[in-house]
Amino acid sequence: MSSDHHAHNPGFISKYVFSLDHKVIGVQYTVTSLIFLFFGFSLMMIMRWQLAYPGESIPLVGGWLGKYLVDNNGVLLPEGYNALGAMHGTIMVFLGVVPLAVGGFGNYVMPLQIGAPDMAFPKLNMASYWVYFLGGVTMLAGFFVPGGAANSGWTSYPPLADIANTVGTHPFWNGQTVWLLGMVLLITSSLLGSVNFIVTIMHLRVKGLTMFRLPFFVWAQFVTSFLLLLAFPPLEAAGVLQLMDRAFHTSFFMPEGLVVSGVVQDQFAGGGSPLLWQHLFWFLAHPEVYVLILPAIGIVGEIIANNTRRPLWGYKTLVYSVIFLGFMSFVVWAHHMFLTGMGTAMSTFFQTTTMIISIPSVVILTALLLSLWQGSIRFTVPMLFALSFLPMFAIGGLTGLPLGLSASDIQLHDTYYVIGHFHYVVAPGTIMALLGGIYFWYPKVTGRKMSTFLGHLHFWPSFVFMNTVFFPMFMVGLAGISRRLWDQTEYVQGIDVQGWVRMSSWGAWALGLAQIPFIINFFYSAFAGKKVNENPWKATTLEWAAPSPPPHGNFAEVPVAYRGPYEYSVPDAKEDFHPQHVPDSQLV
Amino acid sequence: MIASSFWLPPDISAHGSQIDIIIKYLHWFMAVLFVAWGSYFLYCLVRFRAGANPKATYRDAKAKPSKMAEVVVIIIEAILLVGFSIPVWAYYRSEPPGNDANPLTVRVVAQQFAWNIHYPGPDGKFGKSKPELVDEAINPIGLVDASEDPNAADDYVSVNIFHAPKDRDILVRLSSKDVIHSFAVPLLRVKQDAVPGMEIPIWFKAEKTNAEAQEMMKRAFALPASPEGEEAETFVKENRLRVTMADYGSVRKGSTLNAEHLKTLSAAGITSVELAPGFPVNIQCAQLCGLGHYRMKGQMKIYEPDEFEEWYASAGEEEVFDEDEFDDE
Repeated sequence: MSSDHHAHNPGFISKYVFSLDHKVIGVQYTVTSLIFLFFGFSLMMIMRWQLAYPGESIPLVGGWLGKYLVDNNGVLLPEGYNALGAMHGTIMVFLGVVPLAVGGFGNYVMPLQIGAPDMAFPKLNMASYWVYFLGGVTMLAGFFVPGGAANSGWTSYPPLADIANTVGTHPFWNGQTVWLLGMVLLITSSLLGSVNFIVTIMHLRVKGLTMFRLPFFVWAQFVTSFLLLLAFPPLEAAGVLQLMDRAFHTSFFMPEGLVVSGVVQDQFAGGGSPLLWQHLFWFLAHPEVYVLILPAIGIVGEIIANNTRRPLWGYKTLVYSVIFLGFMSFVVWAHHMFLTGMGTAMSTFFQTTTMIISIPSVVILTALLLSLWQGSIRFTVPMLFALSFLPMFAIGGLTGLPLGLSASDIQLHDTYYVIGHFHYVVAPGTIMALLGGIYFWYPKVTGRKMSTFLGHLHFWPSFVFMNTVFFPMFMVGLAGISRRLWDQTEYVQGIDVQGWVRMSSWGAWALGLAQIPFIINFFYSAFAGKKVNENPWKATTLEWAAPSPPPHGNFAEVPVAYRGPYEYSVPDAKEDFHPQHVPDSQLV
Repeated sequence: MIASSFWLPPDISAHGSQIDIIIKYLHWFMAVLFVAWGSYFLYCLVRFRAGANPKATYRDAKAKPSKMAEVVVIIIEAILLVGFSIPVWAYYRSEPPGNDANPLTVRVVAQQFAWNIHYPGPDGKFGKSKPELVDEAINPIGLVDASEDPNAADDYVSVNIFHAPKDRDILVRLSSKDVIHSFAVPLLRVKQDAVPGMEIPIWFKAEKTNAEAQEMMKRAFALPASPEGEEAETFVKENRLRVTMADYGSVRKGSTLNAEHLKTLSAAGITSVELAPGFPVNIQCAQLCGLGHYRMKGQMKIYEPDEFEEWYASAGEEEVFDEDEFDDE
């Protein structure tokens, strides 16, 4: 399947730009998504200024943000705030975290961990990256079209999104339409990737690598791919329908008789349902949460096993929990919609499934915590990130409970409590785990280690400021402040919590600064880092059997898996790790 | 005002305490779990660090306590779900209970960026409304003429001010004329999306009037040392939504604190004032609805029942646009 392109010697363009090699594509995904992550985060740093100091000119960058975002004095406009908010959410989720977790880590690490020379469909793989890239460029183009970028939230609820950016703009060349085109491209890219992942894991495992000898990370990617494959098409369809509503005035999401700013919307035939969009959107977007988390949990599992020098506690329990989590993630979506007029029967179903889905999450967290017991814990930089994931993911998970129960959700729905909750899952949780993964596999990709000193300089401030940014949001939310407000001091409760809001903002700016050591480390270590052998962490899984960096085709000789993935500290053995590819006869 | 526990705003509704109890129980539950997990976690990091435990144990630790913990978590979640959340939700989503035979029924029509409160008037019947009759200046909900529908004759529409009696069930028929909004009144523990094309009923009962809510939210503020300068400006700005609760000489009860007041108070040697919000019961929009989402603000005016009847009897005679005292800046 993938051997035909191994023979020839490709030139620069086909080796590094339009490459079919999963490792090059993985690195392309990683670097692109890291840039998008930092860009999306920068949008938020601008928004946090308006929240902390409402109506004051934005320092440093306020002057050149353009007329769609700021006024003449460099003060963020309400519609500019909404545009930055919508783009922040979209970029972080669809251009940052998912491509990094799946496109980056999945592409680079997964084939190596199953001993494959490449992905099953290298051309599909390349197409996936370039469609993603095109989707990213399309998204960013939104900032430059007349009327500015999409500003109806990353959720793009109609009718608002159906009528947004339509007055005085080009019928196609406008923010929300460009956003929809970008989404269609991004989802297409995910679909191409997920098919490839599933086939690769099913068919390209080396001899001896049974499903229950797969590293936990591969299992996480496997389940994630099914989520991508099954959950994303409904939103792709919904995106096209919204596009039709906007461009050709169909009425999939438009009821009749709407009056916007005194104008009857009779260009729409009417008869559509705004709630249809929400169902289609959340049918994607809840599994999407697990698309973000599962690869992160996989990475944390790898790092914890390696740095506790013992097998992951309850490997099979973890695998079954992840499968169950993936399955359940398809039947909880309407807990995002408790307040759309839902009756008791529906809400009972969805809050019950939501409580049920919390159980495998608790089991996974417990298993990872139990893995620490009687370990011999090495506090390497990747391990610091992986360990920090555990309590912060726990906060994210726990604060989901009051939102998942419909009664307490009445007060907390659409407040900053929600923002705090899902950011704890995605930012202090998932992103910290992904950063840990970069430190962990960097030596494999480059043959060099990242600086430990800069790693500490990155980790500790990031850990502190992640919490400084997000913890105050729970207080702000409990106080009753709605999300997505340009100026929360309009409300008396908003004035009371302004101290917390400022704390979040200063935390965000400090968190931005804390990434500088990482950026330096990331590029500097590529040519000046300490050179290491193929297995610097003394790890067991197959990717460490390949040279660092692995050549085209990955392995000098096709490995065979002789045992499970985490044979650390086997009793009576001399070395404390037994790599999967070393036969019993050669173990010392 | 954040003095009420868990940072929640004061609760002035009949059903709110049930929601608050769930929120409080949940947070205690979360705190206990987090502290228990966290203590175990930190213990592991210290006890099993490579320096203290150079050789890891291959065999999985027996996990009886953790299995017990998981079972306890499941049981507590089940209790919160079945014992609290489902019944409270069922109560909240039901029609008003029958013991109050006379609920006040009101239509609320949300729009960018205002709340139209449509009262049926003495006949208790709402007049029809049509989209093509909407005129943002004089007829925001497109109410038909009385000649076409006699029920419309005594109807009354209030913009952004929701007049309501306390101690009486209020049934709101919520809709929107343009995009999705969400009718949120934090002090009443009420939140419901207003979805165009649907009319969604919600109900609540206020147990406090505005004056009583102000009493709950009043707080003493130390005045800045000097009535001028940056500190004084900040003080005025940050308290612009509050009014004095008592007369301080020429600073009249009910007025918004401004820079002049500060000078007067300072000259009189007053160092601290008691302040409370002029309109304590905010209506917020909780669903992104466009560039004016942040200022889609309404106010509840909750009266004693007899005061409300008095207001309601004369409401039709006032201008349709009654923004009296709304602009409190």
